[in-house]
Amino acid sequence: MNTIIFGALAILSLFIFFNLGKVKASRKQLDRSKRINRFGNQKPNNIIEGEAEEIRKRW
Amino acid sequence: MSRHSVINRFGRSTNPAFSRGFNSYPEAYMDEKMTLDGAVNKTGILLALCFSGALIGWNIPALTLPGAIVGFILAMVTIFRNPAKAGSTAPLYALAQGTFLGGITLMYENAFDGIAIQAIGLTFGILASLLMCYKSGLIKPTENFKLMVVAGIGGIFLLYLVNFIMYFFGSGFNLLSPTNGSLMSIGLSLGIVCFASLSLVLDFDFIEEGAEKGMPKYMEWYGAFSLMVTLIWLYLEILRLLSKIRSR
Repeated sequence: MNTIIFGALAILSLFIFFNLGKVKASRKQLDRSKRINRFGNQKPNNIIEGEAEEIRKRW
Repeated sequence: MSRHSVINRFGRSTNPAFSRGFNSYPEAYMDEKMTLDGAVNKTGILLALCFSGALIGWNIPALTLPGAIVGFILAMVTIFRNPAKAGSTAPLYALAQGTFLGGITLMYENAFDGIAIQAIGLTFGILASLLMCYKSGLIKPTENFKLMVVAGIGGIFLLYLVNFIMYFFGSGFNLLSPTNGSLMSIGLSLGIVCFASLSLVLDFDFIEEGAEKGMPKYMEWYGAFSLMVTLIWLYLEILRLLSKIRSR
C-alpha cells in the first residue's frame, strides 16, 4: 500500500512537472517590479544578418 | 604602462576567459536561445541518468563513495570552472550522484523498510507543488527572498562543515544523526527540508528568467543542473527526516 501511494504520488508529480514546467509563468509572476535581476538588462541580440559592405572613404 | 598604452601596443584582447560572466557571452553561444521546453527536457534527461546511476549503485554498493566524490568534483567544475560546459559535465554529474544515491538509499532501506519510495514520492511531490505555486504567482521570489534562502543555506552548510571536521576527531553533532529521533533533531531536519524546498523556487525563477531574456542554449543545461543539485539535496534530507521520525 505504501509503495502504491508514494509511487503514484511520484509519477503524478513528474507528470505535472513535465507539463507545467513548459508553460510560461503567470503575468502575476512575470510582470512585477521586485523580480531578481540575475542577468542584468540583457536584451535579445538585434544584429541583422546580411552582407556587409566595406565603406571606403576617398580623400 | 597605462591601460590605454597597453591597448594601443598589443590591441584589445579577444580572449573569452577575460570576458566571462553571465552578462557577456562568446558569439558562438548566441546562435540558439534558451527555452523552457529545452530546460525541462534536459532535466528529464538528467533525472533518467540519475535513476540509471541509482540502479547501478543499488546493485553495487561499493560505488557509493566513489560516486559521491566524482559527483562533488563534477559539480564544482560545472559551477566554478566553466558553466558553458554544463552540457557535458551535468549528465556525468547526474550519473555519478545517482550511484551515490542508489548506495545510500539501500542503506536506509535495509534499516527502515519502504523508506525509499516514501522519500522519492515526497521529493517529487514537493517539486510539483512548488512549481504550481511558482507558476501561479503564489510564491514570488524577490531579492529579499533570495537573501533569506542564501543566508539559511549558508548557515546549514556551515553546520555540515563543522560536523564533518568534528567527525575526524571522533565526535559530531548528534542532532544531525539519522537515528536521533528527538523533537529538536526532527525540527532541525524539517527546517533544512524547508530551505532545500525554497531553493527550488529560486531554480525555477532562474530558468524562467533565462528563457525570457534569451540566454544562450547552454544555460538550459546549467538550469537543469542546478535543479538536479537541489533535488538531490532535498531527497537526502527527506531520507534523513523520515529515518529520524521512524527512529522514535
